[in-house]
Amino acid sequence: MKKITTRALSVLLIAALVVVGLTVYVLRYIDHGRDWALYFSRANSGSTGELIDRNGVSLAAFSASESLFAGDALTRTANYHVTGDYWGRSGTGLLSAYWTDMQGFSLVSGTTQNESSILHLSIDSELNKTAYQALGPDRKGAVLLVNYRTGELLCMVSGPSVDPADADAVPGEGAYINRCLSSAFTPGSVFKLITAAAAIENIPDIDSRSFYCEGKYSIAGVDIVCSGEHYTQTFEQALSNSCNVAFAQIAVMLGQDTMVDYVRRYGLLDGHELDGIPTAAGTYPTEFVGDPELGWSGIGQSTDMVNPFALLRFVSAVGNDGVLVTPHLLLSGEEPERERMLPPETARRLGQMMNYNVVSHYGGEERFPGLALCAKTGTAELGDGTSHAWFAGFLSDEEHPYAFVVLVERGGGGLTVAGELANKLLQAAVSR
Amino acid sequence: MEAYQEFAQVLLAASKFAMLLLSAAILIRCLRSMLSEKAEPETWGYLRLGRETLPVQHWESIIGSARSADLRVDRPKVGKVHAVLTRNDRGLWHIYDVFSKGGVWVNGEKVDESGAPLEDGDVVNLNGTNTRFLDIPPEKREKLDAARTAAGKTVSPSLTLIDLTLFQLCLLAQHALSASREHLPAIALGFATLILLQWCCYNAMRLIHRSGFEVETLAFYLSSLGMSVAASSTPEDMFKQILLTVAAVALFLLGGWWLRNLKRTSLMRGPMAVLALALLAVNVLFSESVFGARNWLEFGGYSFQPSELVKAAYIYVGASTLDRLYRKRNLFGFIAFSAVCVMALALIGDFGTALLFFVSFLVISFMRSGSIATVFLAVTGAGLAGFLAVSARPYIAQRFTVWGHVWEDVYDKGYQQTRAMSAAASGGLFGKGAGAGWLKDIFAANTDMVFAMVCEELGLLIAVCMVLAMLALAFFAVRSARNGRSAYYAIAACAAVSMLLCQLALNVFGSLDILPFTGVTFPFVSRGGSSLLSCWMLMAFIKGADNRLGASFAVRPADQDTGRRREEDGEEGRKR
Repeated sequence: MKKITTRALSVLLIAALVVVGLTVYVLRYIDHGRDWALYFSRANSGSTGELIDRNGVSLAAFSASESLFAGDALTRTANYHVTGDYWGRSGTGLLSAYWTDMQGFSLVSGTTQNESSILHLSIDSELNKTAYQALGPDRKGAVLLVNYRTGELLCMVSGPSVDPADADAVPGEGAYINRCLSSAFTPGSVFKLITAAAAIENIPDIDSRSFYCEGKYSIAGVDIVCSGEHYTQTFEQALSNSCNVAFAQIAVMLGQDTMVDYVRRYGLLDGHELDGIPTAAGTYPTEFVGDPELGWSGIGQSTDMVNPFALLRFVSAVGNDGVLVTPHLLLSGEEPERERMLPPETARRLGQMMNYNVVSHYGGEERFPGLALCAKTGTAELGDGTSHAWFAGFLSDEEHPYAFVVLVERGGGGLTVAGELANKLLQAAVSR
Repeated sequence: MEAYQEFAQVLLAASKFAMLLLSAAILIRCLRSMLSEKAEPETWGYLRLGRETLPVQHWESIIGSARSADLRVDRPKVGKVHAVLTRNDRGLWHIYDVFSKGGVWVNGEKVDESGAPLEDGDVVNLNGTNTRFLDIPPEKREKLDAARTAAGKTVSPSLTLIDLTLFQLCLLAQHALSASREHLPAIALGFATLILLQWCCYNAMRLIHRSGFEVETLAFYLSSLGMSVAASSTPEDMFKQILLTVAAVALFLLGGWWLRNLKRTSLMRGPMAVLALALLAVNVLFSESVFGARNWLEFGGYSFQPSELVKAAYIYVGASTLDRLYRKRNLFGFIAFSAVCVMALALIGDFGTALLFFVSFLVISFMRSGSIATVFLAVTGAGLAGFLAVSARPYIAQRFTVWGHVWEDVYDKGYQQTRAMSAAASGGLFGKGAGAGWLKDIFAANTDMVFAMVCEELGLLIAVCMVLAMLALAFFAVRSARNGRSAYYAIAACAAVSMLLCQLALNVFGSLDILPFTGVTFPFVSRGGSSLLSCWMLMAFIKGADNRLGASFAVRPADQDTGRRREEDGEEGRKR
C-alpha cells in the first residue's frame, strides 16, 4: 500500500500542470485582456463615445455601428494628432490613448456596457486649422499653444498629417508621429533662454558685464562661430543678437554642473505626460565634456535635443511668473497641478529680455502687430546646410495669456519661417 | 422603472460580492476540513516480530524487508516484497506468498501463491523469521475507532452547506435579473431542486452517522455553476437538466453504496469490462455523427454519449486490489482492454475522450506497476498513434496548425477560441452577471467554451474558484488514498480525479488557445447529460477512498463489518 500511495502523488503532477496553465492564462489576460475584450465587445456592448473641442465641434464620434470623424477634410487633417484614429495608427492620439477608458474597459471590471463617454477637449479646432494651413501640407513641424494661466492646450498640430477618414490618403513620411509630443530636435538658439535664466540666477553682476564678439571665439583652440560680429554688447543685447560667442562664454562661466542642473530643473531632460500620454525626453551632455563642447551646448548645438512640449512647459512657466500650470488637453473640471519652476524675479527678468528681443530685433509692432510678445528665435544648424526653424515665447497680455512653441523641421531661419507662422497663429488666437 | 433599475444594479453588485466571499468560504472550509483533520490510519491487526509490534493499517499490506513495505521485517533472508497480507470485508485474513525465494509457512504449513487463511495467534514464518499475527477482537476495535477523530469535527459541514445554499440563491437572484419571465420559474425550480437535493443528501448522511460532506459540497458547488450555465444558455431545457442532476446524484449514491463491498466490487470487474466494450461497440456501430465526432446515440428521443458512461466503467475495471497486483504480475489484460477502448473512441472520432482514457491509463498503470518504463513505452506508442490520427484526420491536423494563431483567423478556424477569449476578458474579475453575457449565443459556448462563459458572466475570480474546486477534489483524493483500506480504492480515486483534471485542462486551455482545441467538457459545469452522470459517478470512487472515521457512506464502518462477521462466522467456520 505504501508504494501505491506514494505513486498517487503523480496525480499532483497533473494538478500542477493545471495551475501552470491557469497562471499562463492570467498573465496573458493581464497583457492582452484589453485587446481581446474590445475585439468583439464594441459590437456586443454598444458603447458610444465622442471627442468634442472647446467650441462644441465634434472631432470624432463612435457607436456600435459607426466610427465617425469631423465633417470636413481640413478639420480632420489638422486635428489628426489630437484625435488619432480607430485603428491605433497614431499611438498618442486620444482615440488610442483613451480607447479603453471610453469603452469602459479595465482588467478589474471588464467592459462596461452602454456608457456614453464624451471627452471635452481644451483644443480649439479652428486654431489647429489655422496652424496647419500656416505650416502647409508639405512641411514637417510642430505647433503648440497653451493658456499659461489655466494650462489649457488650445493648439497642437504636427505636420505632415493625414486625413483619417480618407482610406486612399497617402500619408507623408512620419505622418503618424506627433512631433509635438513624441520627438526631440536640436534646439539651436531657443536654448539660450535656459542659459540666460541660469546666468540671471548664478552670475550676480551679469547685467553690468559686457561681451565682445568679433564673429568667432576660441575656447581651448576650438572656434565658436557666431552668426555675425556683435562687438561690445550687454547681456540683454547678447540675447537679442542671439550671440553665440557671448552665450558660449556664459555657459563656460556657469560650468557644466550648473548647466545640467538647470536643464534638468526646467524639465528638458525628462519625458512628461499630457493627460497620461507620454512625451519624449530630451538630451543634454550630462557626462563630462570639455569647455568647447560645453560652449556649444550652451547655445543649443552639441548633443542638445529638446522636445517641443517640454519647451512649451518652460516658456509657459516664464510667462506665468515662474509657475508652471500643467498643460492638459481634457477639460475635466479638475484644478490643474501648479508648480514653481523659476523664481518670479528670474521669470520676469527673462520675460523682459524676451520682449526686448521682439521690440529691438524681431521687427516689433511691424512684424507682430498688436501683440505684447516676448519670444526667442532659434535656427538650429544641422551640419548639412539645413536648419530647424524655432520660435518660442508668450504674450504678456492678461486677456490673452498664451505661450507657444513653433518648430519647422529643416525650415530655415527661425524668425522668417517660424516667427511668421507664430504671428499667424497668435493673431488668430487673440482675435477669437 | 428607474427605481427598479437602481435596485437591480445594487442587487447585482451585492450578489457578485457575496458570491465571491461565499466561494472563498466554501473552498477554504472544504480544504481546511480535508487538510486539518489528521490522517489517522485505521488499525486492523498486529504483526509481532520479536519485541516489536507492527500495526496492520490497511486491508492489503506488503510484508517484506524493503523500506517501502507496509510491514517491514528487516531480517536476513526475508525478501524485499515477501508476502501480502489481506483482510476482506468480512474481517477474514489471508496471507499470500508473492514469489518469495524462501517461502512462507503458517503454523508450519507452506503457503502457496493462492494464499492461506490466517487466524489470531498464528505463527507466520518468513523464510526462517518467525512472526506472530494478532487479530483485533471487535470490542477492542471499537475502542480503537472511538479514539480516532470523527470527520466534520473541526469544520462543520452544515455551515459550509449553508454557505453553498446562499451562493446558489445569489446565482438565482442574478438570473432573476436577466432571464425572461417565461423561463424564470423553471430556472428557480432548477436551483430549488439543487438546494433540496443537497440538504436531503446531507440529512440522509447524518441519519446513517456520516459526517464527511466535502466531496459532495464541492460537487454540488460545481453543479450549481453548471445549473447557471444551463439557465443562461438553454433555459427552455431546464427540466431536462433538473432530471439529469437528480439522476446523477442517485447514481453517485448507488455507486458509493456498491463500492462498500470490496469483494462484490472486485468480482464484477469482468462483467463491467464486457459492459463497457458492449457500450462502445454499440456506439461504433449505431452512432450518429454530430459535428465531427460520431459519439452521439439517439435513444427514445434522448441523445446521449456512451463514451461518457464508459469512463466510470473503465476506472472500475482498471483499479485492482494489491494481492492481485502481486499475484498476477502482469498488466496485459488491462492494457488490451485499454487499447480496445481507446481504439473504439478513435474510430468514433472522439479524440478528446480517447486522450482522457489514455491519461487515466497512464495513472492506473503507473500506480499498479510503479514502472516509469511502462509509462514511457505507453507514451511513445500513443505518440505514434496520435501522429497517425493527425495525419489521417485533416480536421485534427487543422486544430494543431491554428493553435497559437487563432487571432489570425477570427472568422473561421479561430472562431470559437477568439470569441471565448474576448468574452472571458470582457467579464473582468467580477463578471457581467449570470445570464447577461453574449457568448452564450455562440455555438458550443455552454460546453467547449464554458470556462469563458463563466468568466464573462460570473467573472474570472469565480472561474478560478471553479478550477480550484476541482483541484481541491484532486488533493483530497490523493490524501485519502494514503489511508485507503484497499489499493483498489486508492487507485480508483486517483484515476478518477486525474481523468477529471485532464478533462478540465483540455476544456479550459483548449478554449483559451493555450492547448489545441479538443472540445471536451468541463466536469459538472458544461452542459451535457451524459457528462454530468459520469462526473457524479466518478465522485463515488473518491468517496470510496475516504476512510476517516464516519466520513463516507461508501466505506462501511469497522464495527459494522465485524458485526457481520460474527453473524456469518458460523457458516464460514463450518466451511473451514
